Amino acid sequence: MSLLEVRGVTKRFEGLLAVDSVDLDVEQGDIVGVIGPNGAGKTTLFNCLSGLEVPTGGEIRFRGQALSGRPDRFTRAGVARTFQNIRLFPHMTAFENVLVGRHCRTRVGLASAIGRGRKFHREERESETRADELLDFVGLARLGEVVARNLSYGDQRRLEIARALASDPGLLLLDEPRAGMNAQETRATADLVRRIRDRGVAVAVIEHDMRFIFGLCDRVAVLVQGRKLVEGTPAEVQGDPRVIEAYLGAPAG
Amino acid sequence: MRQFVQQLVNGTVLGATYGLIALGYTMVYGIIQLINFAHGEIFMVGAFGGLTVYRYWLPEAWADKVWVALPAVLVGAIAVSVGTAVLMERLAYRPLRNAPRLAPLITAIGVSIFLQEAVRLFYPDGKRQQSFPQLISSGTFEVAGVTVAWVSVFVVVVALALMVALQVFVKTTRTGKAMRATSQDPESAKLMGIDVDRVIVITFVLGAALAAVAGVMQGMRFAQIDFRIGFLVGLKAFTAAVLGGIGNLKGAVLGGFLLGIVEALATQYVPQGSSWKDVWAFVVLIAVLVIRPGGLLGERVAVRA
Amino acid sequence: MKLEKPPAPAAAGAAALVVGTLSPWATFAGFPGKMSLGGFPGGARLFCLLLAAGALLFLLDVHGRRWAALATSAGAVAVVVVNLVALVDQGGGAGSVAWGACMSLAGAGLLVAAAWRLPPSSPAAGEATPTRAPVIEIAAIAAALLAVLGAVVWGLRIEESSRFVSFLVFVTFLSIAVHHLGVFSWLGAVFARHHRIALLLAGAVAVAFPFTQQGNAYWIRVFASIGVFAVAAIGLNVVVGLAGLLDLGYVAFFGVGAYVGALLSNAALTTSNVHLPFLLVVLLGGCIAAVFGLVIGAPTLRLRGDYLAIVTLGFGEIFRITANNWDGLTRGPNGISGIPDLALGGFDFGQSHAVLGVTLPGFANYYYVELVLICAAIVVFTRLNDSRIGRAWVAIREDEVAAAASGIDTIRLKLLAFAIGAFLAGAAGTVNAHVTTQVSPDSYTFLESILLVAAVVLGGMGTVPGALLGSTALFVIPEKLRSFQDKRLLLFGAALILLMRFRPEGLVPSRRRRRELREEAPEGVPGLAGATGAAPGGPAS
Repeated sequence: MSLLEVRGVTKRFEGLLAVDSVDLDVEQGDIVGVIGPNGAGKTTLFNCLSGLEVPTGGEIRFRGQALSGRPDRFTRAGVARTFQNIRLFPHMTAFENVLVGRHCRTRVGLASAIGRGRKFHREERESETRADELLDFVGLARLGEVVARNLSYGDQRRLEIARALASDPGLLLLDEPRAGMNAQETRATADLVRRIRDRGVAVAVIEHDMRFIFGLCDRVAVLVQGRKLVEGTPAEVQGDPRVIEAYLGAPAG
Repeated sequence: MRQFVQQLVNGTVLGATYGLIALGYTMVYGIIQLINFAHGEIFMVGAFGGLTVYRYWLPEAWADKVWVALPAVLVGAIAVSVGTAVLMERLAYRPLRNAPRLAPLITAIGVSIFLQEAVRLFYPDGKRQQSFPQLISSGTFEVAGVTVAWVSVFVVVVALALMVALQVFVKTTRTGKAMRATSQDPESAKLMGIDVDRVIVITFVLGAALAAVAGVMQGMRFAQIDFRIGFLVGLKAFTAAVLGGIGNLKGAVLGGFLLGIVEALATQYVPQGSSWKDVWAFVVLIAVLVIRPGGLLGERVAVRA
Repeated sequence: MKLEKPPAPAAAGAAALVVGTLSPWATFAGFPGKMSLGGFPGGARLFCLLLAAGALLFLLDVHGRRWAALATSAGAVAVVVVNLVALVDQGGGAGSVAWGACMSLAGAGLLVAAAWRLPPSSPAAGEATPTRAPVIEIAAIAAALLAVLGAVVWGLRIEESSRFVSFLVFVTFLSIAVHHLGVFSWLGAVFARHHRIALLLAGAVAVAFPFTQQGNAYWIRVFASIGVFAVAAIGLNVVVGLAGLLDLGYVAFFGVGAYVGALLSNAALTTSNVHLPFLLVVLLGGCIAAVFGLVIGAPTLRLRGDYLAIVTLGFGEIFRITANNWDGLTRGPNGISGIPDLALGGFDFGQSHAVLGVTLPGFANYYYVELVLICAAIVVFTRLNDSRIGRAWVAIREDEVAAAASGIDTIRLKLLAFAIGAFLAGAAGTVNAHVTTQVSPDSYTFLESILLVAAVVLGGMGTVPGALLGSTALFVIPEKLRSFQDKRLLLFGAALILLMRFRPEGLVPSRRRRRELREEAPEGVPGLAGATGAAPGGPAS
């Protein structure tokens, strides 16, 4: 049984077939890349996998359990994500952003919060320790008190990853994590993804930068117009003429 | 059966008013995603504007000549409503165009309160009911056993005519197209050279003009107005707009008539219906928003993700 | 901090201002504060004189002095202008203004000009170094609290509207000046460092207040009304300020609690014959209101913000109309009256009692009960704010989609906020039934909901001091401006418009809210928000 099993997921928007019967498997310890021309349905697929969109058809199973419902159920089940257009909580500090990510793994409720018993203090301490550790992990160690909207672009992307990791996911969906970064930052991002994998979190990445994808991923899936065209190792995908055609068009003559 | 048809007629007349005002709400929400809480007050000041023309500016000799008095009153009403709406947009709403949603809404409530009180305090004898001239004869006629007032016929005909005119305007004229473009994507509209600020002002103007006509018609139907008529009618008209689908012009019209009919029928058939008359709009509103938030004909608003 | 030589216009201006305050401002007798007599700074002239102390800033290069000097001198101008308007209005023409006022105006104007031309302070120039000695800090807290109490008591004693407005203007501009000198941020830090003692002292001040009234029940009654209003405002602050849900029908929860209280008391004219102990009734009122909150919230909390506002308005109106029509339970438009005073274990709340040699009128008893209730509400508010639940609310407010993606069950949390807010309002309503001895549907109108929202917004969303300040302001100011009685709502509408335009974050905002609402203003632009960038925050910010 794979960690994530996607079977025939389809998403239709009033006449537009954004995702067309896509199958995908992600195993424990995988880094899977999802590429394709613009409009291929990659982000929509991720939206379906994280609960932001309800698939029109198909099934998603994570750790053997069928996933459906609102996004928080997906996160609680162990699927976390970042967004293409960074969606941090702009007026909260970096530290607070990560703390929010811990929400679904903590249990303090109304009574505890008001009563402030031992459970409350213990959980707060644990969450704060975890948040510090995560900020350190992504390389934002000394920026905890900075208000999120004041962070640099690259730091914001890293913060979003830290927040997603805070929910202790089994699978992390990264939507264009290196958009807007220079070469050095891109390398750092790839490195971070590998470290995430080494911690036991499988990763699926949408990206447009081929070198980034092929250098990082174990397997790559190519989406074109909502359908999965090819899936294989980077070498297999790179050499596949259908992929070249999808991006560059058929050779003349 | 006769009662039923009678209430249908009553409801239709009521709905004509709601529809005209609902158009104003729906247009403004479609363009800047603001519930113009003060739109009901635009309706009210329009009525007062018309009354002022009649009382103070119309020479005695022409007071009972419908062909002069009625246009004069309408012009007065529209002038006041449009003026108020433009001021409102410019001074209260425009500075808050980019503020979080809470600010314009509270501002709108403030404007609504301000306008009500301004009329109450500064209009001669503003606290009391003002009698409104019945320019169209107050007579009635019978059709198939149902009593219909001439005024009601006038109201429905004018309302429908204006609604059609608005539809035509929005569909065919350049400004109308600009309005539709702005409501779908203001940024792109700006890039296409559309003066978005001007389009927004025009939206307010059109909505205000329709509300002004509705105000005059309200005055003629009930033979009196006071500073409070805006609040409840405004809320009901907003309900009508939501019922039809906010941002959707045809929806506002449909919603208006439907709501009017529902209200009339409920008043007739629910025991002690008249004391609960004002509740029906709210019940409908809640029901629509819970069951089908897009309204009957679907929303036409740029969805801000 | 070195002494400087003041520029000539400043010295001249200060001199003129001071001389002006010691001279007549009115040409006719009978203007409040004996303003037609010279030789002493009577009436509103006192405020001008006190603000003239701002001229001392020309002597010392203190950090932030430019804005402080501007504030004090502008304040002096404002006070003079207010009184000019009042003089002309009461005296019937420009001839009622005496030369003293003109002189003060000219002097203040010179000071404004001179202050404008002061160079901005360099950051290092004599910034007030915070002392670390705890004794001094605690003394400072006590002094600040006593100053507030003193100002409140003194301000309440002012009878005439023009003098009261002058007083408000004086306090406002003085606060702005003091804020720019960094005092508020220093006080805020001190409060935070010693917050337990600060709260204790604040509590002591609150308890002391009725003793300052010398047996006069009037203001105690007003504060008793403010008390229930404040509890409801804190509840609304949870809904609007923390969770960001705009509820325009909130007063319905208050009304539910009130009717519960009325029905379960031993009221003379009530429809039920049940009589329960008071504490239970309060809890019951809160719980029933909370149930209403859940019922209303369940289908509607997933709506967009403005739609939610209108729907809640609708529910508020439905409540009022139902209460008006359901004669069987609520006695319709007449309501339930004759609600008796509370009697807890033989202690009759309606009676005045002598404590420590001072006679406290009956309303003081309710006042103290409400203090307890307010404390409970504050505890609930601050503890929730500073917890996982509070953070989740902020997250929902900032970006609901991202919050859901981060694992937050947004619907459940919104319902929780709604229910808690409703509970607090219901509890407050129950107490209120006894304070006002009657409940009727007319008290629970849309306008009341707006007043509550205004209190929260005006005071500062998301802070306890904000809710308290807003409630107090909304009660006290209309009471004091009785001569404007008729125009109260007009001014209220205008105030809402101006507030949203110029200070949407309210008087005492939380730092985060200020960030949210000042999004478009570039950082560091001096305005009311303060060039020093410090936020005047209390311990619960």
